[in-house]
Amino acid sequence: MSTTTAELSVLNEEKTVAGAQRAGVNFTIYLSLLAGLIIVYSLHRLFLHANAHTVGLDYFEPEFQVWMNLFYVQIVVLPTLMAGIAYYLWRTRELNPDNVAPEVELSRYFSFIAWLSCYTLIVIFAGAVHGEADAAWHQVVIRDTDFTPTHVGLFYLLMPALIITGGGSYIFAKTRLPMHAKQHLLPLGVAIGGPILIMPNVGLNEWGHTFFYAEEMFGTPIHYGFAILGLALIALGGVVVHIVHRCKELVDIVSEREARQGV
Amino acid sequence: MADDQSAIAKRLETQIDIILITAIVFAIAGATAFVMAVTMGDWEYWVDWKDRRFWPLVPIGMLMVIPAALSSTFWVKFRLPFAFTAIVLCYSAVRWLSTYLNFHIFGGFPISFVWPSVYIPMAILVDCSLLITRSVFLTGLTGAFLWGALIYPANWPMLAAFHEPINYNGEMLTAADLLGYEYIRTSLPEYIRVVERSILRTFGDAVTPLTAVFAGFLCTVVFYLSWIIGAIVNDHRRWLKKV
Repeated sequence: MSTTTAELSVLNEEKTVAGAQRAGVNFTIYLSLLAGLIIVYSLHRLFLHANAHTVGLDYFEPEFQVWMNLFYVQIVVLPTLMAGIAYYLWRTRELNPDNVAPEVELSRYFSFIAWLSCYTLIVIFAGAVHGEADAAWHQVVIRDTDFTPTHVGLFYLLMPALIITGGGSYIFAKTRLPMHAKQHLLPLGVAIGGPILIMPNVGLNEWGHTFFYAEEMFGTPIHYGFAILGLALIALGGVVVHIVHRCKELVDIVSEREARQGV
Repeated sequence: MADDQSAIAKRLETQIDIILITAIVFAIAGATAFVMAVTMGDWEYWVDWKDRRFWPLVPIGMLMVIPAALSSTFWVKFRLPFAFTAIVLCYSAVRWLSTYLNFHIFGGFPISFVWPSVYIPMAILVDCSLLITRSVFLTGLTGAFLWGALIYPANWPMLAAFHEPINYNGEMLTAADLLGYEYIRTSLPEYIRVVERSILRTFGDAVTPLTAVFAGFLCTVVFYLSWIIGAIVNDHRRWLKKV
């Protein structure tokens, strides 16, 4: 996660003098970000594979402490990271959004897309790689404890990571993109709202499985609320249309300036 | 200078395309897999859940939602008639990745017990309907109907062997049922397996065609509703002054 946040903020963020530098995506940083996320979550998944069926079977056994240690690290690091990112984005916000050069704004849209790419990459890990590991886990090890190895990864690592990257996308747009400075893009709010909207269902799910539904049929009403996370991402289409519209306008201006100045 | 400007604009637009398409691919693959898992996952996960009454109806109806909603954006805003194929392709790739990593390697189930369904042929049909008719209404009537109706024949080459009847200790069951009994799922006991629930279980007769026709109608309705929801939610001109 630290790789993500440190690098997201510097992606083409320099406030350059108009036309003095070629606008463009820094693919080295962009790909490093995605690779960093893939490495972190793949390592977590490998750890799950190695330890879930050996020291992860019962929360009440002493050897389960391996998982609780990981859990404690996550619940300290991730909220701290979340607060740090929000503070950094706010402290470095654009103070004069009506006077941002097109080159700078275009660079910020590249960074905004990078934030969204990180958010959506984590959706794959949450939705399939870790989410369905949970489904498989419950079919070979009966659900009988408050904490399970798959939940440590799914609910306490990936869901906070989704909130960090989704919330970070939103704050980044609000604090740096002129069009977002004084208003809220509805599709963006819906698209990044999914992880927060499923929180009530996380509670219902744990409560329900404890008191009235011991089985783990996955397509069951107690799980339907989770679908909001995926369905909310339908609204990403509206965000894409907004980005394409605005970037088209900016590209026309920037390319005309760069051609004139021979950059 | 005009040539220079055009070259610069093309370079920038290509870069935007690359990173934007990456984000879109991640989103549609992850979101579709997650929605399917928590709404109709078991019909996708297990071969003994792939029956003739619910599997050809529930998953195919649910899988219609995200492609149809995003088709409204792909088609209306960009005139791109391939949302269904793109989304189903991404979904299938992620499903296979998850099936192999989670159910086969991690859970220890054989691939023949947990293989994902095939949806790509129907997705191509819906996109082709949109491309040929250029009409949302006609695509709903034809493509969406075929999307629901053809899941059984599209998967039949893989599924046929598992629906063979078996005499097991004097009881008649399918090969898929037997696999389900042999590979015990501790949290998924037989009494909550939602398959073939009806007044008569039979190996013949009109169960599958009836389900296929109903699935077609259901998918047509889901297509129209999802399209409308997608068009409303994805309006990029919707800004709020206050939240």
